[in-house]
Amino acid sequence: MDPITLLSVIKGGIVLGALYALMATGLSLVWTTLGIFNFAHGAFIALGAYVAWQFSSADAWGTPMLLAIAVTCAVMFAVGALIHFLLVKPFERRADIVLISVITTLAGSAIIENSLLLIWGPRSKQIEPLASGEVDFGALHLATSEVLLLALVLAILLGIGVFLRYSRPGRSMRAVAQNREAAQLLGLDVPKLFAIAFGLSAVTAGLAGIFVGTIRFMNPAMGNEPLMKALIVVIFGGVARFSSPIYAAFIIGLLEAFASYAVGLYWAPAVLFFTMIVVLLIKPEGLFGKYQRTL
Amino acid sequence: MRYDPPLHRTQGLVPLIIAFLLLVAYPLVFEGTYFRHVMILAFVFAIVATSWDFSLGFGGLFNFAHVALFAVGIYTYAILAKTLGVSPWLSILAGGGTAALVALLIAIPVLRLDGIYVILVTIAFSQLIYLVVISWSSVTGGTSGMVTLPTLSIGDYRLSKDGRIGYYFVGLGLLAANLGFLYLLSRSRLGRATVALKDNKYYAIARGISEARTRALTLMASAVFTGIAGAFYGAYLRVASPDAFGLGFLTLLLSILLVGGTGTIWGPVIAAFAVSVLSEWLSGFGAWQNIVIAVAIILVVVFYPGGLWAALQELREAADAVRTSTMARLRRRERPAREALTGASERMIQTRHGQIAVADTGARDKPAILFLHGNSACKEAFYKQFRTLSDTHRVIAFDLPGHGVSDNGDPEKTYNIAAYSEIAEAVLADSGVTRPIVFGWSLGGYVALELAARENVQVRALAIAGTPPLNLVPEDFGRGYNPDSHLVLAGKQYFSRREARNFANSATAPISEESAFLHRNLWRTDGRARTYMFSKIGVINWPRQMRMLAEGRIPFAILNGHDDPFLNHAYIARLKYGSIWRGAPQDIPEGRHAPFFNRPDEFNLAFYAFLSSCGCVGGEVVALNQVAGAPS
Repeated sequence: MDPITLLSVIKGGIVLGALYALMATGLSLVWTTLGIFNFAHGAFIALGAYVAWQFSSADAWGTPMLLAIAVTCAVMFAVGALIHFLLVKPFERRADIVLISVITTLAGSAIIENSLLLIWGPRSKQIEPLASGEVDFGALHLATSEVLLLALVLAILLGIGVFLRYSRPGRSMRAVAQNREAAQLLGLDVPKLFAIAFGLSAVTAGLAGIFVGTIRFMNPAMGNEPLMKALIVVIFGGVARFSSPIYAAFIIGLLEAFASYAVGLYWAPAVLFFTMIVVLLIKPEGLFGKYQRTL
Repeated sequence: MRYDPPLHRTQGLVPLIIAFLLLVAYPLVFEGTYFRHVMILAFVFAIVATSWDFSLGFGGLFNFAHVALFAVGIYTYAILAKTLGVSPWLSILAGGGTAALVALLIAIPVLRLDGIYVILVTIAFSQLIYLVVISWSSVTGGTSGMVTLPTLSIGDYRLSKDGRIGYYFVGLGLLAANLGFLYLLSRSRLGRATVALKDNKYYAIARGISEARTRALTLMASAVFTGIAGAFYGAYLRVASPDAFGLGFLTLLLSILLVGGTGTIWGPVIAAFAVSVLSEWLSGFGAWQNIVIAVAIILVVVFYPGGLWAALQELREAADAVRTSTMARLRRRERPAREALTGASERMIQTRHGQIAVADTGARDKPAILFLHGNSACKEAFYKQFRTLSDTHRVIAFDLPGHGVSDNGDPEKTYNIAAYSEIAEAVLADSGVTRPIVFGWSLGGYVALELAARENVQVRALAIAGTPPLNLVPEDFGRGYNPDSHLVLAGKQYFSRREARNFANSATAPISEESAFLHRNLWRTDGRARTYMFSKIGVINWPRQMRMLAEGRIPFAILNGHDDPFLNHAYIARLKYGSIWRGAPQDIPEGRHAPFFNRPDEFNLAFYAFLSSCGCVGGEVVALNQVAGAPS
């Protein structure tokens, strides 16, 4: 492998990793606070992309991109909170909440996907790239949109990290994740925090959807494949800290880039799943995990 | 101590045979090919869903790669029958084999994990299989799949002829074989070990169940018919497509399972038909089809967490409650006959737990005895004591709620021993009795012990029959009772004719003209009273009863039937009693579970002697032989 190829493989891996990090963070946010796995996360990705397209595309309303992103975030937060109150909250006290929430979020995902199909039809769409042109780093040519994506994702993750660490609702959320009963005894409004966590997770999914929509063609089922990747990342890295799925995402992104180069595009996902199963066998709590769920 | 009789005893066999015969007759009567097609799909879905239920509902293993096992069956059939030219019938069987092997592979990571991780790793596993299938296009046809698979035929007769009637019957036959397999499996050693691991993993392991072996076998057993159904599905549609791995198919099967009710065999079968018909009916509506189904799933999960099966059970329970309460109401009119039998007057009193029928001889100057009857009996069970003891005592008895002519109660609140003793207190208060003598029989014995232990009423003397005092439940059940007897029926909600006869024969007296009214009571008793009595067993402070007996402040007697089929006499004799009449539990010779009924003279003699010994006989002194009614 010559250095240029190596560098471009690494570059591809890092860009993929950034996308996965954004999706996996949202997934693990819900997992750690609510203790459930949200299968509608993939549908959130698609929904975010379509909403942003509706606002930003020249074929639709054509508002400025920044406004479109802001509106998408607001819509996604509302949808996330709504899904929480409709599909998860009613079963909070049930012993089989894990299984029940799998089926209800799957059903929610079916509802969202098919609604997208009804509203926007099956034709593929694409969001205008965030930027055009290239940036040169010595021998390495990077598309500006890729650099922007990387920078934006890191900024968003940093923002969420700061929110969780320093803001009052963020700290409350971590408290709820660590010990729900104790947090409730201290007077934290647990249902509200759960709704915020779900909404925030949906916002990250929506942003990921916008990024995916600028790179690939959009269709209502576009979120399923990223959801599976996010699942791999979350299991691979564990959810011991807010940062663990982020490291894992970059590792998985690089692994996927190298696997695609080595065994071809078709077999690369199989390599990832196999790696994940091996990690689970050796360390079920994930690569960076301790055996408990915290944020 | 779960009572799990074979199908023919639970009255489930007849409806099942009727349903099967209807399914057999259907294609012979109706020609419509399209609905037959829907039915064939329903058979396949029912097989996959019930098999899945064995690992998920019975075993608590969230194996989300189950749908991949189905797809493995399809591809096994496609590759063997088409590429390698193996006989289609053999290929179908092979589908079951490969699915079981893949299940064994899935078991390896699953054995090390718990809870949500099992869901995630099995989803990952099914994705892995999916990716292998679409990547390995030289063998599996990749994303476009394989088409024109060989069809099934018997000799020269192709099963698709005559409007697919052959496929219909093969599908029905597979479903029947699958249900038989699952039924026997769930009752086998493996099935019970599977359920035990779900209910209490560490207890099960401590009792010698190998977790790894049982879980691996559970997964493999649930895979066999899934793979066969997959192969049959491939042979029927003649297509092997990677869509079978998709989330859509997973959602469909999971919805069948949850709508039907997990942990039951029959619920998913019913749901498979319902969901298939609904889904076909909606198929003309495009995207709306999936939305409607998804909303339906959510509604079922919200409003009927137990699924259709639980809904059916609720309907049956509601119908049965209406039947028993109507019966009680109608029987209230037969009051003169009951009063003639006991010689006491009957009145209805209002309590927190509904209307309670009380029989009371009403002589306020004599010492009062309260009689408490047993499970599925009534106050008239003591009519011989009413006749004999009313000369010297005031005799009071009442029908427990859900029994005799009392109202049915709210099962959650009323059908437990604590509520029964509360009712006994209310009856005593209504009768103006402050220091009663209490005799309890069987279930009534526990009510009597609880009544005395609560100390809201000062019990003057206490006697029980057919009641082993308990300290530790449920362990002491096994010690105090003879588990081989018909006692297991005491907690069964619905009785068949034969079960009712068996239970009443053992609990009261073999049927005769004299005991016919006791047997009649079984049909009136609210079945929920039997089940809730057991499920609410934890509300009682059992050690408090035991302490009360050990302290021995209340004169106490045990008057068991010597031939009581339910009791373990040795256990009762071993317990520690602070004061017990004649130093030990007394046996009534030839007495059975209701010694006061089948050996009234001996019982009355002993009971009267006990009452005399503790100074509980008021008024004039009566010669013992007069009480016993023996010729002088």
